[in-house]
Amino acid sequence: MNNMYTFDTSTLWAALPEIFLLSAIVVVLLLDLFLTKPFKQATYYLTQISLFITGVMAFNLIDQPQTIIFSGSFILDNMASVFKVFMIGSTMVAMVYTRHYLIQHALFRGEYFVLVLLSVLGMMVMVSGYSLLTLYLGLEILSLSLYTLIAIARERAGAVEAALKYFVLGAIASGLLLYGMSMIYGISGSINITDIANFAANADLASRETLILNFGLVFLVIGIAFKLGAVPFHMWVPDVYQGAPTSVTLFLSTVPKVAAVAMLVRILVDGLGAMHAYWADLFMVLAVLSIALGSVVALMQTNIKRLLAYSTISHVGFIMLGFVTGVISGYGAAVFYVFVYILMSLAAFGIVILLNKKGFEADQISDFKGLSKHSPWFALMMLVVMLSMAGVPPFIGFYAKFFILQQVISAGFVTLAVVAVVFAVISAYYYLQIIKSMYFEESDKDITIVAPMDMQLVLSINAVLILVVGIFPDFWIKLSLSLF
Amino acid sequence: MGSEQIIFYFLSFWLIASSLAMIFSRNAAKAVLFLVLSFFSVASIWILLEAEFLAITLILVYVGAVMVLFLFVIKMLNIDKSTLRAKFAGYLPLGLIVALIIIAEMMLVLGNAQFGLDVMPAPARHGADYSNITELALQLYTTYVYPFELAAVLLLIAIIAAITLVHKKEINRKQQSISEQVNVRAKDRIRIVSITSPSKENK
Amino acid sequence: MEQIYLTIALAPLVGAIFAGFFGSLLGRMATTVITIAGVLISTVLSFYVFNHHVLEGGEVFNQNLYTWMQIGELNVSVGFLIDNLTAIMLVVVSFVSLMVHIYTIGYMHDDAGYTKFFSYISLFTFSMFMLVMSNNFMQLFFGWEAVGLVSYLLIGFWHHKESAVEANLKAFLVNRVGDFGFLLGIALVLMYFGSLDYVEVFASLGNVTGVTMLDGTSVITVICILLFIGAMGKSAQVPLHVWLPGSMEGPTPISALIHAATMVTAGIFMVSRMSPMFELSETALIVVMVVGAITALFMGLLGIVQNDIKKVVAYSTLSQLGYMTVALGVSAYSVAIFHLMTHAFFKALLFLAAGSVIVALHHKQDIREMGGLRKKMPITYWTSLVGTLALIGFPGFAGFYSKDMIIEAVHFSQLPFSDWVYVAVVIGVFITAFYSLRMFFLVFHGESRMDEHTASHVKESSISITLPLVALAIPSALIGYLTIDPMLFNGWLDNAITVAANHTSMASLEANFHGANGMIPHALQTLPFWMMVGGIASAWVLTLYRSQWADWIQKKFHRSNYVLESLYGFDRFNDIVFVGGIKKLGNFLWKVSDSGLIDKILVNGSARFVGFIASMVRPIQTGYVYHYAFFMIVSLLIILTWVLFAGDNPLLEL
Repeated sequence: MNNMYTFDTSTLWAALPEIFLLSAIVVVLLLDLFLTKPFKQATYYLTQISLFITGVMAFNLIDQPQTIIFSGSFILDNMASVFKVFMIGSTMVAMVYTRHYLIQHALFRGEYFVLVLLSVLGMMVMVSGYSLLTLYLGLEILSLSLYTLIAIARERAGAVEAALKYFVLGAIASGLLLYGMSMIYGISGSINITDIANFAANADLASRETLILNFGLVFLVIGIAFKLGAVPFHMWVPDVYQGAPTSVTLFLSTVPKVAAVAMLVRILVDGLGAMHAYWADLFMVLAVLSIALGSVVALMQTNIKRLLAYSTISHVGFIMLGFVTGVISGYGAAVFYVFVYILMSLAAFGIVILLNKKGFEADQISDFKGLSKHSPWFALMMLVVMLSMAGVPPFIGFYAKFFILQQVISAGFVTLAVVAVVFAVISAYYYLQIIKSMYFEESDKDITIVAPMDMQLVLSINAVLILVVGIFPDFWIKLSLSLF
Repeated sequence: MGSEQIIFYFLSFWLIASSLAMIFSRNAAKAVLFLVLSFFSVASIWILLEAEFLAITLILVYVGAVMVLFLFVIKMLNIDKSTLRAKFAGYLPLGLIVALIIIAEMMLVLGNAQFGLDVMPAPARHGADYSNITELALQLYTTYVYPFELAAVLLLIAIIAAITLVHKKEINRKQQSISEQVNVRAKDRIRIVSITSPSKENK
Repeated sequence: MEQIYLTIALAPLVGAIFAGFFGSLLGRMATTVITIAGVLISTVLSFYVFNHHVLEGGEVFNQNLYTWMQIGELNVSVGFLIDNLTAIMLVVVSFVSLMVHIYTIGYMHDDAGYTKFFSYISLFTFSMFMLVMSNNFMQLFFGWEAVGLVSYLLIGFWHHKESAVEANLKAFLVNRVGDFGFLLGIALVLMYFGSLDYVEVFASLGNVTGVTMLDGTSVITVICILLFIGAMGKSAQVPLHVWLPGSMEGPTPISALIHAATMVTAGIFMVSRMSPMFELSETALIVVMVVGAITALFMGLLGIVQNDIKKVVAYSTLSQLGYMTVALGVSAYSVAIFHLMTHAFFKALLFLAAGSVIVALHHKQDIREMGGLRKKMPITYWTSLVGTLALIGFPGFAGFYSKDMIIEAVHFSQLPFSDWVYVAVVIGVFITAFYSLRMFFLVFHGESRMDEHTASHVKESSISITLPLVALAIPSALIGYLTIDPMLFNGWLDNAITVAANHTSMASLEANFHGANGMIPHALQTLPFWMMVGGIASAWVLTLYRSQWADWIQKKFHRSNYVLESLYGFDRFNDIVFVGGIKKLGNFLWKVSDSGLIDKILVNGSARFVGFIASMVRPIQTGYVYHYAFFMIVSLLIILTWVLFAGDNPLLEL
């Protein structure tokens, strides 16, 4: 045949983590079928082992030279590997927290873990996606798994409703994204990021012929903004966060954000970096709206999951600000913020889950009342998380905000930084509310923590890391900067 | 205007007309049938584009399998049309305005200036010995093997999702919880209420 | 030397960690010993450092110890800059902290949170050391936040009190406003100087002078004002002062250590540190001076109408901080630091004395229910007297030298508005004397107005409380006399403070300075002295003289009703002119500035505004999926239109 059709199996090593994970998924799925009830826990451990091995594989691929395989639709570079390791690590932590919740709420089913693994696979595909098609497929693999995970608590009306909303709105967003991709493909004639980058770099962006490139860009930005949960495409976030079982919310609010940022980097930075001036404008508006709305509306919330949803929206605004700068260090700042956000979010939801008991969803802020009496240690952990989210030094959340603001200011957007800081100050208030109810209010209920030791241990390490990384952030910052 | 163009416009007209009819149809079963018609039109257009295999697949899969399934579902469910329509009519004007503006803006951008034949010439025609299926297969299993496999994963998820969400396990079964029975405390079960004796009250 | 500096900073941290994590294991005794030992080590070493740098003229130490993070070209490190300014601050902080630690043994004796409290104050001491020893803006900011955090924790220490919880929330939020300005200032420094290291920034000041932003405002001015907003938050300048009176809800040792002697002076310290920068901006200096003057005068007025013993001292702290700020504004940085130092001693003393009274009276704080404590609490009485005299600037006492110098510096200042400021600070002297003595007389002199049960239990406090009182009374009396000459005119602070040649206050001061001894006879001829005397006299008349006279007249001249009447009339006159008038003014200001303007409009108002916005946005979140979808599509439409026709990069120009 002519050399147009090439498929070289010798390059498959670059996708080894994905290949292994897919095989593991199939094995777990099949094994789960044959496990009888006393051994159901085995699925959980198998999942963790699979994730661990995948993570080790991805870790070994760090510092490999950049490799593009599968005819340009898969890229292995440091960003991909580091993101994969981080996502897998976070998923493992999330799974530790999840197990307790699933047992308490009779949701412990093999499919749950298989779907989580599948969504991780989807995210890995996104992180390594180097053509519009693979990025989209990765996104769909992720989304479909998430929809199902949310609806898995099907006897809860709220969960089903949340899943349906997420599904419908997600479908619209996917449609917009695809439409944008088709426009980009139409004008550039390729779906590979490399070709698109070449095209965009050489195109005369001011001409009327390339208007369509800008137009496609708008749709792509909207698709990405939806995934990130940026205003005004954020409507699903609070409803889904609240409706979904907390264990799913925990997962949903953390790891997929890495994948969404990766998709953003692949499409907008790697692919359409030449058009930065165009998408930065959009980002600026979306970021400011997100920070503002996230900070202000959260004040009115009484449900902690909803509150954290709005807090996520405002964090997403900060992440997007990093991309507005258009310089590598700005992107690094955004990635650092993502790492930090996930660390904090895992701990925050972890503590929410910790308070769960059989038949009792601790999802109101008032459920935290008097926590400092009943469990001073975890109250302290929550204090650390909340202060970190509010951006109080020396916790890590401060660095993340500081790094972003520093980049934004040195890029010349002083007003933007001022606005961001003003709203960050406002948002400090609702984090304080939680601290206040933990420390300064008496509980009307008896809070006992029934979570297993492994969860308590991991959660403690997670929260302590927020402080420790805050004191020694150098490694993480260097790591984030080295990805670009 | 060549015959090919006449056919194209004819099919396009039917495509748009049947799609609109499907949206505005009051009867769900009729709507499905209009959808079938629009699929046919699309398939015919694909044949015009020399994508015979895809056209046939579309008809076989969507018309032959999916739409028939749809019809069954519609026959089994009793959909209340009136409420649907009331909402629809209420939102129609606003929706229409938004849609029209978007369409207008799109037309400003997406037009012959970008996609006209002079900018993007039509691909060369292939001879009669050209096998669409072979080409497709070669592409799918070499250049696009990765997306192809991913699509397969996507289908796997769809299956898992469907089964997970529909299949009922022992969730709704009533059963004894021995550990709870053993651990139960008296005060959880019995509430001692002091009742004043009626005889004393009467005194 | 590096080890010594490190030890100074870390010794209290070690104490804090032991007390915080193992306090319940170690027990009270061990916790006390460990934390006090930590602070004692710091204190001894601080004196050593003071000796080395200030007295022996040691080299300035400026070194990065640990690189915290490296972002591009920006290097954020932990480092120490030890010059004479730092050395003086170290001595002040460590000494007062040590006294407060000792005092706490007695004061918190019955409190369940005893070990926790020790952990907090040691942690505070550590944070404060890091703040003053910092050689860069970032570490300064960390110290800044850390002291704020500990202060926040301590205000709410008794969290079963509703008011304490409210006060600490208020403190935190108001400080966030200040921090926000401060952070922006730091960000601008970074943007224009490309570094956060003091020395590097000051070295490149010349490159930025003349650069403008925001329609022609000088960058230096903007930076200085933003940094000063940070200082306003920490040092409780109007209008960010509201948290400080509230902070009195915390235990008294905290009020002495944090809210009088050290943390609240961090803003003063910071501006002095930045003197090379502030000197370049006339506008910023005027702002600093005017804000300081407003605080000095009007917060003093509020002190008159307070009846809570701690509140009176708190308002006097506000007013004294205003004096320091005024000194900064007229470029008399060394005078500001001088007053900071004397104030730290005598104000800590006053707070601790107030605490001693409060303990003796079983946590009663209303001065109208005290009186006649002189006999029962002699040590507290005499030390309070020293503190009060120092505060009002009685000739010879520490406060006299520092406050007189501030007033003189304002007098010599060439800045616009300095005449008005001069008037304000002179009136302030009268007011200070008036409320200080009023409180002093009401608490210690006159008849006892306590209920019998309390009165029978009053006795002098234990040794751990009186020892710090005595130890603080000595510097309160003498430190001004001993250090005024070297500190202001013989170059103790020369290697830390820069004064531009065209700001002549300090030079004029020096020209008119005739030694510490010469100041006292000189003072007798000046207005501030007589204002002070007037203040003392009025306080005496209105608190003691009137009531004693009333009693005496009632006994002796019971027939001469008209005398009584006329005395009553005199009293009324006083009441209307002095008490009534000033009281009304004070009350008015209290209502308008504190509870009205700031509480209702700024604090509650902004909260309500934010709530309003939030409730406006909430209806969009209807929960209907088709609303959401529609919202998305409309957003798409808006963005498309914007991209096509507007924005920075309009694609279509119709």
